Amino acid sequence: MSDLLLENEQARRLIKTLGLPIPVPERLARATGPYEERPLEDKRVLVGGRGELQDALAHTLTKAGANPWVIGETDSILQPYLAPGEAWARPPTRVSPGDAPEGERIDAIVFDGTGLQSPGDLRELYDVIHPWIRRLNRSGRVVVIGRPASDAKKAGRAATRAGLEGFTRSVAKEIGGNGSTANSVFVQEGAEGRLGPVLRFLLSPRSAFVSCQPFHITKLASGDDAPDTQPLEGKVALVTGAARGIGEATAELMAAEGAHVVCLDRPADDGPCSEVARRIGGSALLVDITDEDAPARIAGELREEFGGVDIVVHNAGVTRDKTLARMAPEAWEMAVDINLGAVVRITDRLLSENLLRTGGRIICLSSVSGIAGNRGQTNYSASKAGIVGFVEALAQQLAKRGVTVNAIAPGFIETRLTSAMPVAIREAARRLSAVAQGGKPEDVGQTITFLATPGAVGLTGQTVRVCGGALVGA
Amino acid sequence: MAKKKNGWGKRQRAVIVHGVRTPFVKAFGQFLKLDSIDLADAAVKALLDRSEIPHEDIDSIVWGGVIFPSLAPNIAREVALDLRLPPSVEGMTCTRACATGLQAVTLAAAAIERGEADVIIAGGSDSTSNAPLNLPQKAVHALAPLAFGKAASPSDYLQVLAQMMPIAEILPKMPKIAERTTGQVMGESAEEMARRNEITREAQDHFAERSHHRAAAAISSGRFDDEVTSVETSDGAVYTDNIVRGDTSFEKLSKLRPVFASDGTVTAGNASPLTDGAAAVLVMSENKAKALGYKPLAAIRSWAYVGVDPADQLLIGPALAMPKALDRAGMQLKDASFVDMHEAFAAQVLSVTKALASKGFAQGRLGRSKAVGEIDEDTFNIHGGSISIGHPFAATGARMVTTMANELARTGQETAILGICAAGGLGAAAVLEAVA
Repeated sequence: MSDLLLENEQARRLIKTLGLPIPVPERLARATGPYEERPLEDKRVLVGGRGELQDALAHTLTKAGANPWVIGETDSILQPYLAPGEAWARPPTRVSPGDAPEGERIDAIVFDGTGLQSPGDLRELYDVIHPWIRRLNRSGRVVVIGRPASDAKKAGRAATRAGLEGFTRSVAKEIGGNGSTANSVFVQEGAEGRLGPVLRFLLSPRSAFVSCQPFHITKLASGDDAPDTQPLEGKVALVTGAARGIGEATAELMAAEGAHVVCLDRPADDGPCSEVARRIGGSALLVDITDEDAPARIAGELREEFGGVDIVVHNAGVTRDKTLARMAPEAWEMAVDINLGAVVRITDRLLSENLLRTGGRIICLSSVSGIAGNRGQTNYSASKAGIVGFVEALAQQLAKRGVTVNAIAPGFIETRLTSAMPVAIREAARRLSAVAQGGKPEDVGQTITFLATPGAVGLTGQTVRVCGGALVGA
Repeated sequence: MAKKKNGWGKRQRAVIVHGVRTPFVKAFGQFLKLDSIDLADAAVKALLDRSEIPHEDIDSIVWGGVIFPSLAPNIAREVALDLRLPPSVEGMTCTRACATGLQAVTLAAAAIERGEADVIIAGGSDSTSNAPLNLPQKAVHALAPLAFGKAASPSDYLQVLAQMMPIAEILPKMPKIAERTTGQVMGESAEEMARRNEITREAQDHFAERSHHRAAAAISSGRFDDEVTSVETSDGAVYTDNIVRGDTSFEKLSKLRPVFASDGTVTAGNASPLTDGAAAVLVMSENKAKALGYKPLAAIRSWAYVGVDPADQLLIGPALAMPKALDRAGMQLKDASFVDMHEAFAAQVLSVTKALASKGFAQGRLGRSKAVGEIDEDTFNIHGGSISIGHPFAATGARMVTTMANELARTGQETAILGICAAGGLGAAAVLEAVA
């Protein structure tokens, strides 16, 4: 079912004209086409905070085509921006602290909070962002960067660092109505070089439905090559449940970045699955993942056709909702086996046969309700929370080989699954996110695709929510 | 290994023996009635006469064009036929936007180096005045059944008429110099480059003033006499370039209004104008030149072509192509005796020179630690450039090759580097060297 408030111009106008107390969601700007050389072309990005990442920020923003506006008392603040500014002809502009010149608007705010030491320093967040927050354009971006609290030697410093996340989550709720998002990024010492691709993703329209989230960039997994465009060139990707919805969107996006996608779905979905594979120039693999011989068949196919695999996306999943009291054992079995059991069995087989190549990526689908819990979904939640534990453990084991393992937890996404929900619940669920609307399968696909790129090597063992900043399961 | 015949496959050095161009004339002026082929004929005829090359020794003509005569786009062959050269003088026509003239010369050099030919006439011509006005596809498709189909009944004519509405959609479109992919007019690209590279209006106007003064000095001193021929038209002969303004000044240029943006910096005075003209170069293998008793003006040492994203800085190409050609020539910018850069816009030239002098640019875009180098004003576009002399798109490269080859021969200096920006985000460069 389409979202009336988003797609019907008359309804939107009527509500606005009558001044009804219904929040009309802002249409989110989304990316079209594959990764660009300059995803931030001519975007005005305000940079504030006195951190340790100025060089990385200057290089990343300028190269990505943004016009940096840097907050500082004197022109010395511009120093890191001069050389990259000359290289890509993006000269920096200095803005005085506390001054937001009349009529000037911005597309994004990046706050470098890596220099904050004590709770009093958090005031800098207010000083930098307060004067500008109303000047943020539609589908704007706020990214707050800090150091991980867990790495702090003093408790006071840890508190300061952790404060950044709470601030960002609240900002996200305040700017969501504008179609804007806010996310925080925590960069481990020594992992600064891995910030660039994450920033490009978070500041671009590819992260349209990612809000309120913390990202932890670590040096855990090895690997350093990060092409800006066609990042999946030469990679083989397995996507389960690729016939429709999130799987289909992911397969399409990955193919657009250069990957050869093996589209896996049940034999019963031969038609749509093969159609997707044909359209994107990939191949179809028809296997019921709950079959006993499924892991062996998948491994065999990948070995014989491609000699291995680089990216595995465990997307296939089902719901069999009933309250625990009324749930039949089959419903439990089915949900847990497809959503979790098969994921573990297939991954184990690929690893034991050594088919996952160095620098590989494993991405599993979790769910917001897996994290938050949901009435009638004990089986589903068990399986989806299990995924969180699975990626945390596996990420540690595979890091040395340059393999990252992450989970994606979608919020309310407009798919076949959610269109079957009762109208009232569906409508409420949509409006519970900070951006007051449901996401699209491509929003989830974009995040999965990003996690599959070499540039996302700093992110592993994490569960990234694609939920538009949903209220549940924070 | 079989013995090579007719020089095929042997390596030989390509040299510039002679170069001649027509006067460069403002579009819709004195050359109005001469199309691109007529202009090419004039330049090549003068080259043949002045060089006295025996016609039977010519292997081929490699010609360049940007706006083609639609009924005979292979200008090279038409020139050979018009001038009654032996039928064996074959011809091909190439296009690479504003770098077309240089492209023709390097194609000739490549063919000679490969041993495919020994004597090639290369060059280019364009008549902006004779740019064809195309009917929109809608009109063409609607009319096609009547033009090529079976005999039409009155109702067929009515049907065709019905497809011709609204009238605005079937009128011929005015050609404009806009990027096909971005829709941006080139002047807007120059305007954006000025803004992003912080090139001021003053700097652009000073540059334009210098270009005019230097070109005017070259003309009045007779420096161009060897390389410019007069051209007969039905309204009389044209002897000299008519765009150069020796009496212009910074003050006069400062008064002009910006063309592409109300708060912009690019004016008619600091941009190259639409121009009609042709330029031809005689390229030979060094041995053939010696055998025929010529003293070559210069040799072609290296060249490079690059592409950049048209949506970024459309005309920054030379800043990447010139370092590449210098690398291939095994030299550095400071070693070059002369630097000659096509002046599409003063803003573009100054953006390129700024990038070449920038360490940041070298690090970020060329992957090297040091800047390519500063260009000394005294060796840079010493006889003016496209802003003052004019810019028939396909002729400019051949004009630059001729002027620099003559300069090396006259001064006894060692090397010259050429840089050209072109539509589509292309950049071109070549290094010429003295022939001992």
